[in-house]
Amino acid sequence: MKNKELVCGNIAFSEAAIRGGCRYYYGYPITPQNEVTSYMSSRMDEVGGVFLQAESEIASINMVFGAALTGARAMTSSSSPGISLMQEGISYLAACELPAVIANVMRGGPGLGNIAPAQSDYFQAVKGGGHGDYRLIVYAPSTVQEVVDYTYKSFSVAEKYRMQVMILMDGLLGQMMEPVVFPEMVEFKGIKSDWSITGCKGRAPRLVRSLFLGRGVLEDHNKKLQEKYKKAEETELKYETYKTEDAEVLLTSFGICARFCRKAVDLLREKGVAAGLFRPVTLWPFPGDKLFKVAENVKKIVCVEMNAGQMVEDVRLSVSNPEKVSFFGRTGGGIPSVSKIVEFAK
Amino acid sequence: MATLKELAKKPEYFTNGHRGCAGCGAAIVARHVLMATDGNVVVANATGCLEVFSTIFPFTAWNVPFIHNAFENAAATISGVEACYQSLKAQKRYDKEVKFIAFGGDGGTYDIGLQALSGAMERGHDMLYVCYDNGAYMNTGIQRSSATPKGANTTTAPAGKVEQGKTQKRKDFTAILVAHHIPYVAQAVVGDWADLTRKVEKALSIKGPTFINVFQPCRLGWGYEPSRTIEMGRLAKETCFWPVFEVENGVYKLNYNPKDRKKPITEFLKPQSRFKHLFKEENKPLLEEIQKDVDQEWQRMLKICEAT
Repeated sequence: MKNKELVCGNIAFSEAAIRGGCRYYYGYPITPQNEVTSYMSSRMDEVGGVFLQAESEIASINMVFGAALTGARAMTSSSSPGISLMQEGISYLAACELPAVIANVMRGGPGLGNIAPAQSDYFQAVKGGGHGDYRLIVYAPSTVQEVVDYTYKSFSVAEKYRMQVMILMDGLLGQMMEPVVFPEMVEFKGIKSDWSITGCKGRAPRLVRSLFLGRGVLEDHNKKLQEKYKKAEETELKYETYKTEDAEVLLTSFGICARFCRKAVDLLREKGVAAGLFRPVTLWPFPGDKLFKVAENVKKIVCVEMNAGQMVEDVRLSVSNPEKVSFFGRTGGGIPSVSKIVEFAK
Repeated sequence: MATLKELAKKPEYFTNGHRGCAGCGAAIVARHVLMATDGNVVVANATGCLEVFSTIFPFTAWNVPFIHNAFENAAATISGVEACYQSLKAQKRYDKEVKFIAFGGDGGTYDIGLQALSGAMERGHDMLYVCYDNGAYMNTGIQRSSATPKGANTTTAPAGKVEQGKTQKRKDFTAILVAHHIPYVAQAVVGDWADLTRKVEKALSIKGPTFINVFQPCRLGWGYEPSRTIEMGRLAKETCFWPVFEVENGVYKLNYNPKDRKKPITEFLKPQSRFKHLFKEENKPLLEEIQKDVDQEWQRMLKICEAT
């Protein structure tokens, strides 16, 4: 049996990234994910990897760009305001189709906000925070073990589609400690690709670019990106259902908030309310078709989030009965209590 | 220049009741800089310790108009305010004399804020930028910055078996500002109030962009007794680790020269736990190297002062 280790979410994704073959971490201090830079500064040394503290988040995402260009497994992490600064770099990564992993340990916004947990970067992560038609694959783990599991696999998913994967967490998940099992260390020997820039001795030179000036060239490039996104949409979808078979009241929620909802479902059932939970694990691709089926016969759909109502828009778009959808949420670091969710949903 | 007696009678523009650590040097910088003004100032503050501990809404330690925007843009934010003020004055819609001061730590100044500061200085806004340089990202948990001295232990450049803290030299940031050809640039230190007061008064009397880099001991990040903040600042000066000088229209002037009473760098390093590992027997060469670097820089400073 594998040993369990007690770690917080921030250390969990740091170590999971390393186990997943990441040897290039670039970061910049920001609360509530400062454990990451501290951990990576010594851990990367131990595994022969690279840790660089950048002079800003703009620099760290572009360092990721530089490493990803060579086919390396590179990542950065930050919290909401820092992720905002990275948006230009993310758009360029998307245009150049460079695989990369970005972790966002969300805190309250907008602006400097506060350093308390929030889920208010859903739109930014899912709808494209930077400019242009692009998508990120967005995982929203709800336990520290899931943080490990999805971070671990995110690098191979990113490479499969030449896409950027975002691990969307929040300050609570980042700081909270839970026992986890870390997977085996991946022996990553560099990707086999026909695009990475590795020196063209003995082969034709390659070109990676995001500037397409010729007539129609950019449109063709965008079509190619969209086809790729469609493929990812079909195959990378992940979701979880809990007691939805006979549910009359359906809760929908993601990330840490879904854990409160799971408990709320149990309490509602004790009160005789047939409640269930639908939890998208990938926020993009959004499991809309699955939700459509699960929600078809319910009387009431309650979307619970730690924001002012963001995923609820996708929930309304997905179901056949949007008039049944209501929203319960708190912002600015407020955490919806299980009892309040129960009260709202019953 | 105001005497200490006169200063003591002035109203406090940066007041007590904030949440700075015991022995916080950043609070001393803010208080002394504002004490040297007549209170008709607008302050901009980059994200950092000073901003966080002094402005926890609904409380504020600032008895002057205060604006905070983000981490990287205090100089840009105050540029906007100052440009608006100049326009209102030109239109004769406002006639009060107002000074503009921006505060940023070394993270918000040396690193992420460099671009905004450089832009503001080059455009020539009538403003004073004060950097409170404590040599690391103290607000987020003591990560290295480009102002962190070589050999210092931080959470992202830790001292251990392989490396002995930060391996790079600190950036000579004040020189970058001198290279902007602005009318006044100075280095000061917490622990010499008279020098700092005079420099702020002088900077504010000059029209155009001015910059003062104030070396600021941080008991948390440096790891010394909270009661020794002033002493630590003075030791930085007396060991010539932090030369105290000013550059007016390109002409350097040394404001403190210990001559043959220059103290060894170990006197500055020893009380700080971030340098503890340097005093191991095997790190003696590193310590000697640091002393050599300080001596070299000091000689260079003396030569520059002589030449200009």
